[in-house]
Amino acid sequence: MLGEGILKGLAETARNAVGSFVSKDRLTTVEYPEERLPLPEASRNFPFLVYDGTDWEKGLRCVACQICEKECPPKCIYIDKSKDKKPDAFGRPQIYPAKFDIDISVCMSCQICVEVCPFEAIKMDTQYELSTDDRFGGLLLDRKELAKSNEYYHQIHPTEASEVDAKLAAEKVKADAKAKAAAGAAAAKAAAAAAAPKPAEAAAKPVVLADAPAAKPQGEGD
Amino acid sequence: MEEGLKIELGKQGVFVTTIEELYNWGRKNSVWPMQFGLACCAIEMIATTMARYDLARFGAEVFRPSPRQADLMIISGTVTKKMAPQVVRLYNQMAEPRYVIAMGACAISGGPFKQGYNVLKGIDRYIPVDVHIPGCPPRPEALLQAFMTLQKKIEEQPLTGEGRPRHLDAEAQGEFPVPVQGEHDLEPTSNKLVWPLPVVIR
Repeated sequence: MLGEGILKGLAETARNAVGSFVSKDRLTTVEYPEERLPLPEASRNFPFLVYDGTDWEKGLRCVACQICEKECPPKCIYIDKSKDKKPDAFGRPQIYPAKFDIDISVCMSCQICVEVCPFEAIKMDTQYELSTDDRFGGLLLDRKELAKSNEYYHQIHPTEASEVDAKLAAEKVKADAKAKAAAGAAAAKAAAAAAAPKPAEAAAKPVVLADAPAAKPQGEGD
Repeated sequence: MEEGLKIELGKQGVFVTTIEELYNWGRKNSVWPMQFGLACCAIEMIATTMARYDLARFGAEVFRPSPRQADLMIISGTVTKKMAPQVVRLYNQMAEPRYVIAMGACAISGGPFKQGYNVLKGIDRYIPVDVHIPGCPPRPEALLQAFMTLQKKIEEQPLTGEGRPRHLDAEAQGEFPVPVQGEHDLEPTSNKLVWPLPVVIR
């Protein structure tokens, strides 16, 4: 029959319209500022930097290897390597990012920076309320705004964060064992030859990209 | 008038307001967007108007198909250089007061196509943008939040003196120059009045 589909559709709409006064299930509107839909665990918006411990500046896992900067498809990450080294959360001296900016006006939430990061230092945030009338100041996040604690990471992506923690712990055990073995070997060598032993920590250090050319700042290229 | 006294009077059943407040209250609660989508962000914009998120709760239920009847232009998506003159033309056809929300990375800066040859690197090169929403694409909630940001901006606008809305300012720029397709790029590449060269302090 001609128009049968329209009538069916209208009946469904009418049932929902009337039903919404009776049943809460049919009232689909989420009144946003007061109530929010729970975000799915895999939801993501913009990257943030994870730090361990309580002090964001000391605990940043990022070692400024600049892999994410190079891999970022729209080139929205800008990193300045530090000249000196600072002990990281495990007490090993590391290069740290003197500057770490993400231009969220360009970021396309592709998560490639997260996938390439060998130090589990950059992860995806779920924060979406970022609209601003400040084109430049409001949309360029510096490393202080990007730094979020590991606890926060556990809150937003619990499963993923536990996996990352387990992986990091395993890596640390391995690195410690290696450092111990190296120290033992060095001590034995020193005892044998009585020569000056080399610092043992060198073996425990993760590989840092050496001689990475300093990237040029990303301008508003026309 | 003090905020506390006003609330106290309100409790007693006396409603006190100023012309400015009433005017801005009316303006901010009847912002009608233009029915206009450019790319994938438009899908999120459509979702925002549907029952789940319901933009109508903020007084913006009617998406007008004509720029003459619209107050708000939501630039939802990639503005290609082919489309940019049309966007500016549509903006020129809107009546004051008019507002612009740049939704998503492409509309703000060109986003993933920033290094390309065919996409405009941000619509704010030609028209003034009131609120920027980062995201690729932003969630419908993000658009609602941007809408609330815009409402707050309207509410706080003084009606006289510095920073008054453009429709109350006889000297304000009304028409924005429409770029034309040049030999290699749009000409001019930006409107210097709305896009002063940015100084980024690092």
